[in-house]
Amino acid sequence: MPVVELAGVNKAYESKVAVRDLSLQIDAGQMFGLLGPNGAGKTSSIRMMMGITMPDSGRVSLFDKPFERKSLERVGYLPEERGLYKKMKVMDQLVFFGCLHGLTAEESQKRARVWAEKMQIADSLEKKTEELSKGMQQKIQFIATLLHEPGLIVMDEPFSGLDPVNAVLVESTLLELKAQGKAILFSTHRMDQVEKLCDSICLINNGQAVLAGKMREIKSRYERNHVIVEFEGSSAFLNSEEIADAKNFSGHAEITLKPHGNAQKLLQQAAAAATIYRFELVEPSLEEIFIQTVGGKANA
Amino acid sequence: MRNVFLVAKREYLEKIRGRSFRISTILVPMLMIGAVGFSAFTGRKINTGMHIAIAADSAALAGDVRTELLRDKYAQYKVDVIAPATAQDRDAQLDRIKRKQLDGLLSIENSADGAPHVTFTTGTFGDLSRLTNAFNRGLVHERLTAAGMDAGRVDAATKYVSIEQLQVNNDGKTGRTAGAAPMIKAVIMAMLLLMPIMLYGMDMARSIVEEKASRVFEVMLAVVKPDDMLAGKLIGACGVGLTQIAIWATAASIFTVPAVAGSMLSGDFSIHFTWMDAVFFPVYFLFGFLLFSALFSGLAATCETSQDLQMFMPLVAIPVWISFGILPFLVKDPSSNAAVFGSLFPLTSPFVMVERVALQPPPLWQFGVSIGILILTLWAVVWFAARLYRIGILMYGKRATLPEILRWLRYS
Repeated sequence: MPVVELAGVNKAYESKVAVRDLSLQIDAGQMFGLLGPNGAGKTSSIRMMMGITMPDSGRVSLFDKPFERKSLERVGYLPEERGLYKKMKVMDQLVFFGCLHGLTAEESQKRARVWAEKMQIADSLEKKTEELSKGMQQKIQFIATLLHEPGLIVMDEPFSGLDPVNAVLVESTLLELKAQGKAILFSTHRMDQVEKLCDSICLINNGQAVLAGKMREIKSRYERNHVIVEFEGSSAFLNSEEIADAKNFSGHAEITLKPHGNAQKLLQQAAAAATIYRFELVEPSLEEIFIQTVGGKANA
Repeated sequence: MRNVFLVAKREYLEKIRGRSFRISTILVPMLMIGAVGFSAFTGRKINTGMHIAIAADSAALAGDVRTELLRDKYAQYKVDVIAPATAQDRDAQLDRIKRKQLDGLLSIENSADGAPHVTFTTGTFGDLSRLTNAFNRGLVHERLTAAGMDAGRVDAATKYVSIEQLQVNNDGKTGRTAGAAPMIKAVIMAMLLLMPIMLYGMDMARSIVEEKASRVFEVMLAVVKPDDMLAGKLIGACGVGLTQIAIWATAASIFTVPAVAGSMLSGDFSIHFTWMDAVFFPVYFLFGFLLFSALFSGLAATCETSQDLQMFMPLVAIPVWISFGILPFLVKDPSSNAAVFGSLFPLTSPFVMVERVALQPPPLWQFGVSIGILILTLWAVVWFAARLYRIGILMYGKRATLPEILRWLRYS
């Protein structure tokens, strides 16, 4: 059952087309990456999913039903920038958002305490939001998004402002939620995290989906023409005819082969010139796919 | 409806708990009391205790004028007499004025036609009515005694008689006029209406700009419809205004009842609150507050910063100026065309109507028409504000231009 489905959605603002014929589907227990350069139409797409704006044409379904506001009580939304009342106390804020999503004040308070413990911010519950650091505010926003146990979680740059320790905490929480069967939509520029966490992606550019599908399938479409070599000795093999581009970081080389370049031949040349500790033929990273697909059109 | 209530509750509680609510609840009445007290204090001091010199050709006339001046207990004049006075004497007194040793010189010179030529030279601006009155009474006294009338009989004949002012009330009964009390009451009522509108209407507009900048709206709109959000904000802010007025009214009744009762018993001064005040003040407060707050909210949604918002201030300031500027006309003729216009024009009617109720209540049909126009205008403004709000809060980057605002109204 798709938790969220966009089918042939279009949205234009005056003469600018924000989203053009976009179709995507996110299932329960799936982590989905919505990618694209700045101004590609990611926020416009999310806003239509959340009923903040209406599509000019096309269909938006939530929880296998045509969009209705009642369904939003089962959606958690974390915007890119902090959407919190600065002067409000953290607990009051969490209770307020919990109540807006249909919880009672008591239940909201109970859940807020549990989440605060989990996210290691229990000491800050009685503080005003403005007194907290950017990372702490992000964690509060994260809790506010999840307090009502939504079936669909929409997250715009969820790791923004988090230090590595807290980023791992959020990451593991998201994996737990995924295991519980929640559908999670990511919109981010952090390709490494998308690559690590997402099952499927949709890359949009100029309002159109230019690449979509399961992460494995997408990556398998691209030729394994990247080689990582760790070596000691002469780097003369980096001038090989098989290589299109090479970066040498003092014994760690990242190589892009020419189309139909022969990796085995390169291995022989490298072994003849230097001592090889590692020679790995890797598939392109999501970042490389992103750059290759969006090319020079991206502003990101 | 639940979300409207939740938003209203949040707005209400956050404002009530806020420092600005506590400060304004205490500070506004203190400033008002301070302003009234200062005016009363300085008003009493103007033209009192003046040191005047009378330089006259006739010593008898100068003496009679001095007697009349000293009779004025309120003015508390200190009077020197130089009579008969020469030109040098007058110049000497003018020098004293320059050196701030004297407040004024009343120069009385005989003239050929028998009517004396009188001038009053002073270093400050002042009201001459008390001086003129005293001089003319002194002149009559001097002339009658000069004509051979006995001084005692002159005093008896010219004894000062004050006029008691009476007023026909709305119920047709004639009674003592309340003097300046209705005017003071009108100003207090209009200020009570104005303060929460300015404080919380503008505060709401500022909070909209801040919430837009902090992207709270992004999260809110994912659960709450923009119209519900606006309704909740308006209700919450209106509740804060009403709470503040209730606090002021309660505090006023606790702290001023003994003082007012004392004044009423002595017959000096009294402010009466009628059933009309009790009915129409809350009605006009409610409509006035909602009207201005809705207007502020819609306009705030088109702004990016609080500075942008300042541009719209005249929209509120001008009706307020008109409402207070019209007050002297209301006092002079409460049913004049200006009064009726001010009572019906929706941006001024809340203020003008509470002023009129305090001074002399207008006919009931004017209440009906003015409230009807207010309701229609409120409906139109809320319609307009909701549309601006719906689109404006999601538009970032720059303040909306007029053509953009018109397009938003068309789209939504």
